Amino acid sequence: MGAIVPLFMALAVHPLHTTLTQLAYRDADRSVEVTVRVFADDFRAVLARDVSDSAAAAYLRSAFTLTDRAGRPLAVVWCGMKRTGDLLWLCLRATAPGGLSGLRVRVALLFDRYEDQINIVQAILEGQRVALLFTRGDASKPLTRPGGAVRTPLLF
Amino acid sequence: MSELAAYVSLGFRHITDLEAMDHILFLLALAAIYRPRDWRDSLWVVTAFTVGHSLTLALTVTGALVLPTRVIEFLIPITIVATCVENLVVRDRERALWGGRYRPGLVHGAGFANYLRSLFVDEIALPLFGFNVGIELGQLVVLALAAGVLAVVDRAFALATVRPGGAVLRLRVIAVSGFVALIAARWAMERSPF
Repeated sequence: MGAIVPLFMALAVHPLHTTLTQLAYRDADRSVEVTVRVFADDFRAVLARDVSDSAAAAYLRSAFTLTDRAGRPLAVVWCGMKRTGDLLWLCLRATAPGGLSGLRVRVALLFDRYEDQINIVQAILEGQRVALLFTRGDASKPLTRPGGAVRTPLLF
Repeated sequence: MSELAAYVSLGFRHITDLEAMDHILFLLALAAIYRPRDWRDSLWVVTAFTVGHSLTLALTVTGALVLPTRVIEFLIPITIVATCVENLVVRDRERALWGGRYRPGLVHGAGFANYLRSLFVDEIALPLFGFNVGIELGQLVVLALAAGVLAVVDRAFALATVRPGGAVLRLRVIAVSGFVALIAARWAMERSPF
Protein backbone atom coordinates (compact mmCIF):
# COMPACT_ATOMS: atom_id res chain seq x y z
CA MET A 1 0.00 0.00 0.00
CA GLY A 2 2.85 2.36 0.88
CA ALA A 3 4.17 2.33 -2.67
CA ILE A 4 0.80 2.39 -4.37
CA VAL A 5 -0.56 5.49 -2.65
CA PRO A 6 2.21 7.84 -3.89
CA LEU A 7 1.78 6.36 -7.39
CA PHE A 8 -1.90 7.20 -7.40
CA MET A 9 -1.19 10.60 -5.91
CA ALA A 10 1.16 11.38 -8.77
CA LEU A 11 -1.60 10.46 -11.21
CA ALA A 12 -4.33 12.24 -9.33
CA VAL A 13 -4.37 15.74 -10.76
CA HIS A 14 -5.65 15.58 -14.31
CA PRO A 15 -6.15 18.97 -15.90
CA LEU A 16 -7.28 19.05 -19.50
CA HIS A 17 -4.06 19.34 -21.51
CA THR A 18 -5.25 20.63 -24.84
CA THR A 19 -4.78 23.38 -27.39
CA LEU A 20 -7.06 24.67 -30.11
CA THR A 21 -5.74 25.58 -33.57
CA GLN A 22 -8.04 27.29 -36.06
CA LEU A 23 -7.24 27.54 -39.77
CA ALA A 24 -9.03 30.29 -41.71
CA TYR A 25 -8.62 30.80 -45.46
CA ARG A 26 -8.43 34.38 -46.73
CA ASP A 27 -9.54 34.61 -50.34
CA ALA A 28 -8.22 38.18 -50.67
CA ASP A 29 -4.56 37.15 -50.57
CA ARG A 30 -4.98 33.35 -50.87
CA SER A 31 -3.40 32.76 -47.50
CA VAL A 32 -4.12 30.63 -44.45
CA GLU A 33 -4.30 32.34 -41.09
CA VAL A 34 -3.44 29.99 -38.24
CA THR A 35 -4.59 30.94 -34.74
CA VAL A 36 -3.41 28.76 -31.85
CA ARG A 37 -5.00 28.99 -28.41
CA VAL A 38 -2.78 27.61 -25.65
CA PHE A 39 -2.97 27.89 -21.88
CA ALA A 40 -0.39 30.45 -20.83
CA ASP A 41 1.00 28.41 -17.93
CA ASP A 42 1.57 25.38 -20.18
CA PHE A 43 3.28 27.50 -22.81
CA ARG A 44 5.45 29.31 -20.29
CA ALA A 45 6.56 25.95 -18.90
CA VAL A 46 7.52 24.51 -22.28
CA LEU A 47 9.46 27.67 -23.16
CA ALA A 48 11.32 27.64 -19.85
CA ARG A 49 9.51 30.88 -18.92
CA ASP A 50 10.86 32.81 -21.94
CA VAL A 51 7.58 33.86 -23.56
CA SER A 52 9.18 36.40 -25.89
CA ASP A 53 7.95 36.75 -29.47
CA SER A 54 11.09 35.15 -30.87
CA ALA A 55 10.99 32.17 -28.51
CA ALA A 56 7.26 31.66 -29.06
CA ALA A 57 7.63 31.89 -32.85
CA ALA A 58 10.55 29.45 -32.92
CA TYR A 59 8.71 26.91 -30.80
CA LEU A 60 5.48 27.24 -32.77
CA ARG A 61 7.31 26.80 -36.09
CA SER A 62 8.91 23.61 -34.76
CA ALA A 63 5.62 22.19 -33.49
CA PHE A 64 3.28 23.21 -36.31
CA THR A 65 3.68 22.05 -39.91
CA LEU A 66 1.53 22.66 -42.95
CA THR A 67 2.30 20.92 -46.25
CA ASP A 68 0.73 21.15 -49.69
CA ARG A 69 -0.86 18.28 -51.60
CA ALA A 70 2.54 17.20 -52.93
CA GLY A 71 4.02 17.06 -49.44
CA ARG A 72 6.04 20.27 -49.70
CA PRO A 73 6.09 22.32 -46.48
CA LEU A 74 4.47 25.74 -46.72
CA ALA A 75 6.50 28.66 -45.42
CA VAL A 76 4.82 30.10 -42.32
CA VAL A 77 5.26 33.65 -41.07
CA TRP A 78 4.85 34.69 -37.45
CA CYS A 79 2.15 37.32 -37.04
CA GLY A 80 2.21 37.91 -33.29
CA MET A 81 0.52 36.86 -30.07
CA LYS A 82 -1.78 38.28 -27.43
CA ARG A 83 -3.01 37.20 -24.01
CA THR A 84 -6.60 37.12 -22.72
CA GLY A 85 -7.10 35.67 -19.23
CA ASP A 86 -5.47 32.23 -19.00
CA LEU A 87 -5.01 31.94 -22.76
CA LEU A 88 -2.31 32.91 -25.21
CA TRP A 89 -3.40 33.47 -28.84
CA LEU A 90 -0.55 32.78 -31.28
CA CYS A 91 -0.70 33.68 -34.98
CA LEU A 92 0.97 32.24 -38.08
CA ARG A 93 0.27 32.92 -41.75
CA ALA A 94 1.08 30.91 -44.90
CA THR A 95 0.42 31.39 -48.61
CA ALA A 96 -1.76 28.60 -50.05
CA PRO A 97 -3.01 29.40 -53.56
CA GLY A 98 -4.96 26.13 -53.85
CA GLY A 99 -7.07 26.65 -50.74
CA LEU A 100 -7.28 24.61 -47.54
CA SER A 101 -8.76 21.38 -48.85
CA GLY A 102 -6.17 18.61 -49.18
CA LEU A 103 -3.43 20.39 -47.25
CA ARG A 104 -1.78 18.28 -44.57
CA VAL A 105 -1.35 19.60 -41.05
CA ARG A 106 0.43 18.47 -37.91
CA VAL A 107 0.21 20.12 -34.49
CA ALA A 108 2.74 18.68 -32.02
CA LEU A 109 2.43 21.45 -29.40
CA LEU A 110 3.38 20.44 -25.86
CA PHE A 111 3.85 16.75 -26.72
CA ASP A 112 7.33 17.11 -25.24
CA ARG A 113 5.75 18.23 -21.96
CA TYR A 114 2.52 16.23 -21.39
CA GLU A 115 1.90 12.61 -22.29
CA ASP A 116 -1.86 13.17 -22.37
CA GLN A 117 -1.68 16.31 -24.53
CA ILE A 118 -4.40 16.46 -27.22
CA ASN A 119 -4.30 19.20 -29.87
CA ILE A 120 -7.50 20.11 -31.70
CA VAL A 121 -7.53 21.60 -35.19
CA GLN A 122 -10.62 23.31 -36.62
CA ALA A 123 -11.13 24.47 -40.20
CA ILE A 124 -13.94 25.29 -42.61
CA LEU A 125 -13.74 23.38 -45.92
CA GLU A 126 -16.21 24.27 -48.67
CA GLY A 127 -18.60 25.65 -46.06
CA GLN A 128 -18.35 22.62 -43.78
CA ARG A 129 -16.65 22.70 -40.38
CA VAL A 130 -14.15 19.90 -39.79
CA ALA A 131 -11.87 18.98 -36.92
CA LEU A 132 -8.75 16.88 -36.35
CA LEU A 133 -7.25 15.60 -33.12
CA PHE A 134 -3.52 15.10 -32.57
CA THR A 135 -1.98 13.01 -29.82
CA ARG A 136 1.68 12.18 -29.21
CA GLY A 137 3.17 10.18 -32.08
CA ASP A 138 0.60 11.24 -34.68
CA ALA A 139 1.89 12.03 -38.18
CA SER A 140 0.43 14.82 -40.34
CA LYS A 141 -3.23 14.47 -41.38
CA PRO A 142 -5.07 15.73 -44.46
CA LEU A 143 -7.70 18.43 -44.25
CA THR A 144 -10.75 16.82 -45.83
CA ARG A 145 -14.48 17.02 -45.32
CA PRO A 146 -15.97 14.09 -43.31
CA GLY A 147 -16.45 11.25 -45.80
CA GLY A 148 -14.53 13.16 -48.46
CA ALA A 149 -11.42 11.86 -50.23
CA VAL A 150 -8.16 13.73 -50.62
CA ARG A 151 -7.65 14.93 -54.17
CA THR A 152 -4.10 14.08 -55.19
CA PRO A 153 -2.41 16.28 -57.78
CA LEU A 154 -2.52 15.07 -61.36
CA LEU A 155 0.89 14.04 -62.63
CA PHE A 156 0.03 14.05 -66.35
CA MET B 1 -13.78 13.92 -38.67
CA SER B 2 -16.73 16.10 -37.77
CA GLU B 3 -16.35 18.65 -34.99
CA LEU B 4 -18.82 16.78 -32.79
CA ALA B 5 -16.88 13.51 -33.20
CA ALA B 6 -13.67 15.33 -32.27
CA TYR B 7 -15.12 16.65 -29.01
CA VAL B 8 -16.69 13.27 -28.15
CA SER B 9 -13.27 11.69 -28.72
CA LEU B 10 -11.63 14.37 -26.55
CA GLY B 11 -13.96 13.63 -23.63
CA PHE B 12 -13.65 9.86 -24.03
CA ARG B 13 -9.84 9.95 -24.12
CA HIS B 14 -9.72 12.31 -21.18
CA ILE B 15 -11.75 10.11 -18.86
CA THR B 16 -10.18 6.80 -19.88
CA ASP B 17 -6.65 8.14 -19.44
CA LEU B 18 -4.79 6.89 -16.37
CA GLU B 19 -4.20 10.53 -15.46
CA ALA B 20 -7.92 10.71 -14.59
CA MET B 21 -7.36 8.35 -11.67
CA ASP B 22 -9.58 10.25 -9.23
CA HIS B 23 -12.56 9.89 -11.56
CA ILE B 24 -11.76 6.22 -12.23
CA LEU B 25 -11.43 5.39 -8.54
CA PHE B 26 -14.67 7.22 -7.81
CA LEU B 27 -16.49 5.03 -10.33
CA LEU B 28 -14.90 1.97 -8.72
CA ALA B 29 -16.28 3.11 -5.34
CA LEU B 30 -19.72 3.70 -6.85
CA ALA B 31 -19.77 0.19 -8.34
CA ALA B 32 -18.32 -1.52 -5.26
CA ILE B 33 -21.67 -2.26 -3.57
CA TYR B 34 -23.24 -4.15 -6.47
CA ARG B 35 -23.19 -7.86 -7.27
CA PRO B 36 -22.64 -8.89 -10.91
CA ARG B 37 -26.37 -9.69 -11.24
CA ASP B 38 -27.23 -6.14 -10.09
CA TRP B 39 -25.43 -4.49 -13.01
CA ARG B 40 -28.59 -2.59 -14.00
CA ASP B 41 -28.60 -0.86 -10.60
CA SER B 42 -24.98 0.22 -11.04
CA LEU B 43 -25.87 1.67 -14.46
CA TRP B 44 -28.64 3.69 -12.82
CA VAL B 45 -26.20 4.99 -10.22
CA VAL B 46 -23.72 6.08 -12.86
CA THR B 47 -26.58 7.69 -14.76
CA ALA B 48 -27.52 9.66 -11.64
CA PHE B 49 -23.89 10.72 -11.35
CA THR B 50 -23.96 11.69 -15.01
CA VAL B 51 -27.02 13.88 -14.55
CA GLY B 52 -25.32 15.83 -11.77
CA HIS B 53 -22.06 15.96 -13.70
CA SER B 54 -23.73 17.31 -16.86
CA LEU B 55 -25.77 19.87 -14.97
CA THR B 56 -22.81 21.45 -13.21
CA LEU B 57 -20.59 21.26 -16.28
CA ALA B 58 -23.19 23.20 -18.24
CA LEU B 59 -23.83 25.74 -15.48
CA THR B 60 -20.14 26.37 -14.88
CA VAL B 61 -19.04 26.50 -18.50
CA THR B 62 -21.77 28.97 -19.39
CA GLY B 63 -20.76 31.14 -16.44
CA ALA B 64 -24.08 30.70 -14.59
CA LEU B 65 -22.15 29.11 -11.71
CA VAL B 66 -18.72 30.32 -10.66
CA LEU B 67 -16.63 27.97 -8.52
CA PRO B 68 -12.94 28.53 -7.72
CA THR B 69 -10.77 25.73 -9.16
CA ARG B 70 -8.92 25.24 -5.85
CA VAL B 71 -12.17 24.64 -3.99
CA ILE B 72 -13.46 22.22 -6.65
CA GLU B 73 -10.23 20.22 -6.65
CA PHE B 74 -10.47 19.92 -2.86
CA LEU B 75 -14.16 18.93 -2.93
CA ILE B 76 -13.69 16.15 -5.51
CA PRO B 77 -11.69 13.84 -3.18
CA ILE B 78 -14.04 14.81 -0.31
CA THR B 79 -17.01 13.46 -2.32
CA ILE B 80 -15.04 10.27 -3.01
CA VAL B 81 -14.38 9.78 0.71
CA ALA B 82 -18.06 10.50 1.46
CA THR B 83 -19.15 7.89 -1.07
CA CYS B 84 -16.81 5.30 0.46
CA VAL B 85 -18.07 6.07 3.95
CA GLU B 86 -21.66 5.71 2.71
CA ASN B 87 -20.71 2.34 1.20
CA LEU B 88 -19.45 1.20 4.60
CA VAL B 89 -22.26 2.64 6.72
CA VAL B 90 -25.44 2.30 4.60
CA ARG B 91 -26.23 -1.35 4.06
CA ASP B 92 -29.53 -0.79 2.28
CA ARG B 93 -28.66 -0.67 -1.42
CA GLU B 94 -31.95 0.96 -2.35
CA ARG B 95 -31.13 3.87 -0.07
CA ALA B 96 -27.67 4.09 -1.55
CA LEU B 97 -29.14 3.99 -5.05
CA TRP B 98 -31.67 6.79 -4.66
CA GLY B 99 -30.09 8.63 -1.74
CA GLY B 100 -28.45 11.30 -3.82
CA ARG B 101 -25.66 9.71 -5.83
CA TYR B 102 -26.08 12.55 -8.28
CA ARG B 103 -24.59 14.96 -5.74
CA PRO B 104 -20.93 13.93 -6.16
CA GLY B 105 -21.48 14.33 -9.89
CA LEU B 106 -22.35 17.96 -9.27
CA VAL B 107 -18.83 18.55 -7.93
CA HIS B 108 -16.95 16.43 -10.49
CA GLY B 109 -18.63 18.19 -13.42
CA ALA B 110 -17.26 21.49 -12.27
CA GLY B 111 -13.73 20.07 -12.43
CA PHE B 112 -13.55 20.19 -16.24
CA ALA B 113 -15.60 23.29 -16.71
CA ASN B 114 -13.01 25.98 -16.16
CA TYR B 115 -10.71 24.53 -18.82
CA LEU B 116 -13.48 24.29 -21.42
CA ARG B 117 -14.74 27.79 -20.71
CA SER B 118 -11.27 29.26 -21.13
CA LEU B 119 -10.42 27.44 -24.36
CA PHE B 120 -13.75 27.65 -26.19
CA VAL B 121 -14.48 31.18 -25.15
CA ASP B 122 -16.49 32.10 -28.27
CA GLU B 123 -18.42 28.90 -29.08
CA ILE B 124 -19.05 26.66 -26.13
CA ALA B 125 -22.26 24.72 -26.93
CA LEU B 126 -20.93 22.05 -29.33
CA PRO B 127 -17.64 21.41 -27.49
CA LEU B 128 -19.54 21.18 -24.20
CA PHE B 129 -22.11 18.72 -25.56
CA GLY B 130 -19.55 16.55 -27.37
CA PHE B 131 -17.09 16.53 -24.46
CA ASN B 132 -19.83 15.47 -22.07
CA VAL B 133 -21.07 12.67 -24.34
CA GLY B 134 -17.46 11.43 -24.59
CA ILE B 135 -17.06 11.58 -20.81
CA GLU B 136 -20.20 9.53 -20.28
CA LEU B 137 -19.22 6.92 -22.89
CA GLY B 138 -15.82 6.70 -21.22
CA GLN B 139 -17.50 6.20 -17.86
CA LEU B 140 -19.38 3.20 -19.20
CA VAL B 141 -16.08 1.65 -20.34
CA VAL B 142 -14.50 2.36 -16.94
CA LEU B 143 -17.54 0.84 -15.23
CA ALA B 144 -17.17 -2.34 -17.31
CA LEU B 145 -13.48 -2.55 -16.32
CA ALA B 146 -14.42 -1.88 -12.68
CA ALA B 147 -16.84 -4.83 -12.83
CA GLY B 148 -13.90 -7.00 -13.95
CA VAL B 149 -11.71 -5.79 -11.08
CA LEU B 150 -14.52 -6.38 -8.57
CA ALA B 151 -15.05 -9.91 -9.92
CA VAL B 152 -11.36 -10.66 -9.28
CA VAL B 153 -11.62 -9.24 -5.75
CA ASP B 154 -14.73 -11.38 -5.14
CA ARG B 155 -12.92 -14.47 -6.35
CA ALA B 156 -10.00 -13.79 -4.03
CA PHE B 157 -12.29 -13.37 -1.01
CA ALA B 158 -14.35 -16.44 -1.99
CA LEU B 159 -11.18 -18.53 -1.94
CA ALA B 160 -10.05 -17.03 1.35
CA THR B 161 -13.31 -17.19 3.33
CA VAL B 162 -15.18 -20.17 4.74
CA ARG B 163 -18.53 -18.37 4.49
CA PRO B 164 -19.05 -17.30 0.86
CA GLY B 165 -22.12 -15.42 -0.42
CA GLY B 166 -23.11 -12.22 1.38
CA ALA B 167 -19.90 -12.24 3.38
CA VAL B 168 -17.84 -11.96 0.21
CA LEU B 169 -19.78 -8.90 -0.94
CA ARG B 170 -19.35 -7.24 2.46
CA LEU B 171 -15.63 -7.98 2.50
CA ARG B 172 -15.32 -6.55 -1.01
CA VAL B 173 -17.20 -3.37 -0.07
CA ILE B 174 -14.97 -2.88 2.97
CA ALA B 175 -11.75 -3.55 1.07
CA VAL B 176 -12.49 -1.48 -2.04
CA SER B 177 -14.13 1.42 -0.18
CA GLY B 178 -11.36 1.50 2.42
CA PHE B 179 -8.65 1.48 -0.25
CA VAL B 180 -10.27 4.22 -2.34
CA ALA B 181 -11.13 6.33 0.75
CA LEU B 182 -7.53 6.20 1.94
CA ILE B 183 -6.19 7.48 -1.38
CA ALA B 184 -8.89 10.15 -1.70
CA ALA B 185 -8.26 11.37 1.85
CA ARG B 186 -4.59 11.88 0.97
CA TRP B 187 -5.64 13.87 -2.13
CA ALA B 188 -7.96 16.01 0.02
CA MET B 189 -5.12 16.82 2.42
CA GLU B 190 -2.79 17.64 -0.48
CA ARG B 191 -5.33 19.97 -2.12
CA SER B 192 -6.75 21.56 1.02
CA PRO B 193 -7.14 25.32 0.55
CA PHE B 194 -7.22 25.84 4.33
